[in-house]
Amino acid sequence: MFYVSVFFQYMAQYMKTKLQYRADLLVEFVSDLMSQAVNLVFLLVVFGHTSLLHGWTRDEILFIYGFFLVPYAVFGAFFNIWDFNERYIVRGEMDRVLTRPVHSLFQVILERMELESLLGGVTGMIIMVYAGARLHLSLHWYDIFLFILFVLGGALIYAGVFVALATISFWSDARTSIMPMMYNISNYGRYPIDIYHRVIRYILTWILPFAFVGVYPASYFLGKKEWYGYAFLTPIMGVIFFAIAVFLWNAGVKRYRGAGN
Amino acid sequence: MNAIEVENLRKEFKSYSSRSGLIGAFRDLFTRNYKIIRAVNDISFTVKQGEMVGYIGENGAGKSTTIKMLTGILTPTSGKVIVNGMNPHKEREAFVRTIGVVFGQRSQLWWDIAVQESFRLLKKVYRVSDEDYKEHMDHVIETLDIGPLLDKPVRKLSLGQRMRCELAAALIHNPPLLFLDEPTIGLDVLVKLKIRQFLKEINEKYNTTILLTTHDISDIEALCERVIMLDEGKIIYDGSLQKLKENWGEGKQIQFTFANEMTLDILKELTDGLQVTWKKGEQANVWTAHAPSALLPEVISRVVARYSIQDMNINEISTEEIIRNIYEEGVVHG
Repeated sequence: MFYVSVFFQYMAQYMKTKLQYRADLLVEFVSDLMSQAVNLVFLLVVFGHTSLLHGWTRDEILFIYGFFLVPYAVFGAFFNIWDFNERYIVRGEMDRVLTRPVHSLFQVILERMELESLLGGVTGMIIMVYAGARLHLSLHWYDIFLFILFVLGGALIYAGVFVALATISFWSDARTSIMPMMYNISNYGRYPIDIYHRVIRYILTWILPFAFVGVYPASYFLGKKEWYGYAFLTPIMGVIFFAIAVFLWNAGVKRYRGAGN
Repeated sequence: MNAIEVENLRKEFKSYSSRSGLIGAFRDLFTRNYKIIRAVNDISFTVKQGEMVGYIGENGAGKSTTIKMLTGILTPTSGKVIVNGMNPHKEREAFVRTIGVVFGQRSQLWWDIAVQESFRLLKKVYRVSDEDYKEHMDHVIETLDIGPLLDKPVRKLSLGQRMRCELAAALIHNPPLLFLDEPTIGLDVLVKLKIRQFLKEINEKYNTTILLTTHDISDIEALCERVIMLDEGKIIYDGSLQKLKENWGEGKQIQFTFANEMTLDILKELTDGLQVTWKKGEQANVWTAHAPSALLPEVISRVVARYSIQDMNINEISTEEIIRNIYEEGVVHG
């Protein structure tokens, strides 16, 4: 409860900061919208040329991509921690975080919030509606709840992997290039999993489970019964991976060395 | 009740050194050389509730490391730390609600939002009720004279203004213990005075314990009765400032500006049999004698009788000088 109210307090402050720069906000909003539109057009063009991929139709692939964008947007809005090492370890901002009576990871998340990323989710939903309409998907009343659950699960998986990577900074203060590499790997989750080799499929399911962010949960809505088991695993995987990341984080904080001054 | 209890506290850091050359760099890939550095080496002390303690030492003496262990930021390598009856790094979140921290070189406030918005966030984070906030902070804001700054974003404040706001921010939850790491660094005299006065006031009003590190000895002189002096991770002095002055600052300094150049030999011969040490000043004709107060007239009369002088100054030995002397010798005797 306390954490929820702190969350909204931070969010309110975030909005105020953004609203202070009215011109900036407008420009940012328009440019975000434009880049999303460009993305959309690009996708339609690219997928316009593929009709069938391993038994998946163009619209199904598009639908998966659209779904993927939603948890990805949630992740991007709240787990903007790619510069954690630089900002919090090297510059010592972590000192300040650790003197406040709120869990340190929660504070970092709140401080680095970037709500405009959520726009990407809107694009994702537009794509889903477009692809879904062409596929004549039928939805149940409870699908909306499953959708939310899957989105949260997917975002938690993303968050788990990237928070775990960020904790490396507690052990080694050298900068690593793992983060960008991981961003690349994470993109594989947005394509039908069975187009990959067995090993890659295994990795994307159990080790770096990015398949749970895109293809598995999306298959549920596409009515692909063979993937249902995986689809329902999504929230569980999310919780497990995020829990591991929090555990690593807590262990890392104990090793925090502070910035020398 | 003791606010701080520290026993055999130690913090070690691994410090990696890289080998030279390309081959060295290659070898570093596999085995890295490292030394273990003891930043804080088995220190023990206690601070009573309501005390104001100056924690001093040169750069790298271990001041910041100690403060960071006391505030729960760093985990000690070994030893016991009990602050406000809690183990700082074990019960971090409950513990930090009972302390206030100001790092002079690092802002606690949010850069982009107005000061009062930062306060509002902190009020929420520290779970301070509206009544408590109002009663306590109205007074703080008034005393620190930051009322007009509240609606400005932090990035638009001057250093002195920001520092006063930082101090207010650290006191939002009215903590019984306050850690100040270089709170007056880079501030002008007026702001310094205001901050010192304010700290004295809250110490009297709420019996707040204050642990202060600073490079500015005048801060310590103005505020602290007790100093803890650190050198290379060890405590070399822990006691009253008064006693430190008595043991080390005995005597006076007399600076003579002679009409002509002077040499050490002549002066030594002149004050032969007296307990006087001479130091050369910036010019060849400026010399400073350090002598016990009782010998002062004798020294002056001997000098003036033999040589013509242009100017003469008598000074107390400053605390700063005392501390410098101690660091030069490394230990405190007496």
